Amino acid sequence: MKNDQLFDEYYEKSLMQGGTACCPGCGGPTFWRMALEVLGPNTILYGDGPCAGCATRNIKLPRFGLHFSFVADGATGIVAALAAKGREDITVVSGGGDGAIGDIGFGKVSAAAERNENMIQLCIDNEAYMNTGIQKSGLTPFGAWTTTTPQGKENQKKRIPMVIAQHGVPYVATASVAYPRDLKAKIEKAMGIRGFKYIHTVMPCPTGWRFNPAKSIEVVRLGVQTWSWPLYEVENGVLRLTMKPDPKPVEEYLSTQGRFRRLTDEQIEFIQKQADNDRERLLENDGKNIQF
Amino acid sequence: MSFTRMMEGNEAAAWGAKLSRAEVVPAYPITPQTELISHIATMIANGEMKAQYIKVEGEHTAMAASCGASAAGARVFTASSSQGIVNMEEGIWMPPGRRLPIVMCIVNRAIAPLGSLRPDHNDSLLQRDTGWIQLYCENSQEVLDTIIQAYKIGEDNRVYLPVAPCYDGYFVSATATPTTVPDQDEVDDFLPPYKHEMYNLMPDEYKAAPAFPRNIAKARYEVQKAMERAKEIVEEVDRDYAKRFGRSYDGFLEEYACDDADAVLVTMGSMTGTARDVVDEMQAEGKKIGLVKLRGFRPFPTEELQELAKKYHAIGIVDRNTSYGSAGGGIVSMEAARALYALDDRPLLLNFHVGLGGSDVTMRQIEYMADKVLEAVETGKVKEVVDWVELHEMGEVM
Repeated sequence: MKNDQLFDEYYEKSLMQGGTACCPGCGGPTFWRMALEVLGPNTILYGDGPCAGCATRNIKLPRFGLHFSFVADGATGIVAALAAKGREDITVVSGGGDGAIGDIGFGKVSAAAERNENMIQLCIDNEAYMNTGIQKSGLTPFGAWTTTTPQGKENQKKRIPMVIAQHGVPYVATASVAYPRDLKAKIEKAMGIRGFKYIHTVMPCPTGWRFNPAKSIEVVRLGVQTWSWPLYEVENGVLRLTMKPDPKPVEEYLSTQGRFRRLTDEQIEFIQKQADNDRERLLENDGKNIQF
Repeated sequence: MSFTRMMEGNEAAAWGAKLSRAEVVPAYPITPQTELISHIATMIANGEMKAQYIKVEGEHTAMAASCGASAAGARVFTASSSQGIVNMEEGIWMPPGRRLPIVMCIVNRAIAPLGSLRPDHNDSLLQRDTGWIQLYCENSQEVLDTIIQAYKIGEDNRVYLPVAPCYDGYFVSATATPTTVPDQDEVDDFLPPYKHEMYNLMPDEYKAAPAFPRNIAKARYEVQKAMERAKEIVEEVDRDYAKRFGRSYDGFLEEYACDDADAVLVTMGSMTGTARDVVDEMQAEGKKIGLVKLRGFRPFPTEELQELAKKYHAIGIVDRNTSYGSAGGGIVSMEAARALYALDDRPLLLNFHVGLGGSDVTMRQIEYMADKVLEAVETGKVKEVVDWVELHEMGEVM
């Protein structure tokens, strides 16, 4: 009885009600629940990416989307309309997936960053076009199987957060649903900053990554622990690592997912080297201004 | 205070947007629209116009930002041409279905390949199926007046559709004609602030994508109905505008010097000015040709055209566009054919392709077309249904 009551209270307060259209184990609803607790009701959501769109379908906030290929652009219009109306009290959040942000709408995100639009741009990254049935995107990692990379992806994942950071925007961060406190702190910080804020979060995808839906959080936690998914922020150009775990071998992360099943030892070694290199570079620049 | 001076079409359009108190202007430059947005940028920088100017990185974003701003409750103005219109195609479909009364000037310019900076109407006519109201303007004054009318039409709660005032690049955009700029208070009185009702009234299932097909059919039918209602509103707004500002454009189509005519030429846009002179001259020679200026293309003035058909034996449609492999001729003529098909007693219908890629539509060509139409009346037959006028001149057509 007491539990029911607690749940009812939580549900009543929650800005996400009525279930989701996402796959079991999807990181999308998990992310939005955490994010919405910080964002609060004075928020307008923009974005219509299929996976991210499914996750946002039942959010009780004013929401506007056009189509998945429209990223940051409609939010730019909303920001302008709010400015025209003199509304300073509303947070505009623009969402998109890795395909929308890394591929088809990359120029749009870059342009919104250049214009320093007053919004939080989210990249909810499940590392492929999952809604259409697991096709490779520019943010699919090296070696990952997708239906369009049946032998594993030949090229590397685009480093979008760092690219956005080089636009000179006030805030860029990476996040993971495995670290809710870190994730929420970053959203809260972004809300307090004027201008373009970019938060790139991982969205574990059991369907596309090939793992047991019950293991979503475990899998992405390993992503952080193996430095495959480093958690950092870049505030006014200064890099700060928000999580510095003792590095576990990347194989521990890769072996949790069927999409990496075909990797050869050489490929795993290559990925390990890359993770090591990234970790060293990040630690080297921790606390330093990395904007050129 | 109202004042009159020589003004290019693009400057007149900027005045139209300013007087309409557009609040958000997302725009990307493209010849021949550029002076329009430069004028607006300057007006905003000088503090003469209070609006958010978004310097977007492309037309696809210009339309998306327009949708976002309109959905968030702002009055939105944007403009583009040719490749820009095609670039934003994905976005152009959004405002009608979302019921966002954005106003976008289409400064007509031919589409590549064989890129031209000069006008034909394929860029705007390509949008005929998207749910935008389209009004074609002949000169600077009409551009300015039509933009103010456009907001009044689009924001009417019987309509709630986006409106595209279209005008020819260079021939209108960069040609100075005498233009009266109305008083701001008068415009404010005519055009009250945008009351944003429709989007919020839309049920959730229309906002979600993908929607259920049943809902899509219903939403599309609603747009169609709004288009049909817009026919009356366009006329009504033009009448009200005339009462207040003393200028009318006869709603959808204007009959010029048609009193004794046996046949008419139907023109669109800047060529109409030339055609007026030619028709005057030909009538002075005793030839019974009249002129119809088609101002509204969407919604299409079916009934008005049917009325014309009752009065004139032959109608010559002048198409400044192409529709390769179509059922017959240009886009306007095909629309006209469908409108006239319903009649028991159909007039002779001729179609001319002219001014493609922005070549001049000359007085000689208009006279040639008028003679062809009159010849059809005389013989009771149409010799050539679709006539590529310029190729005739060059001796290229067998």
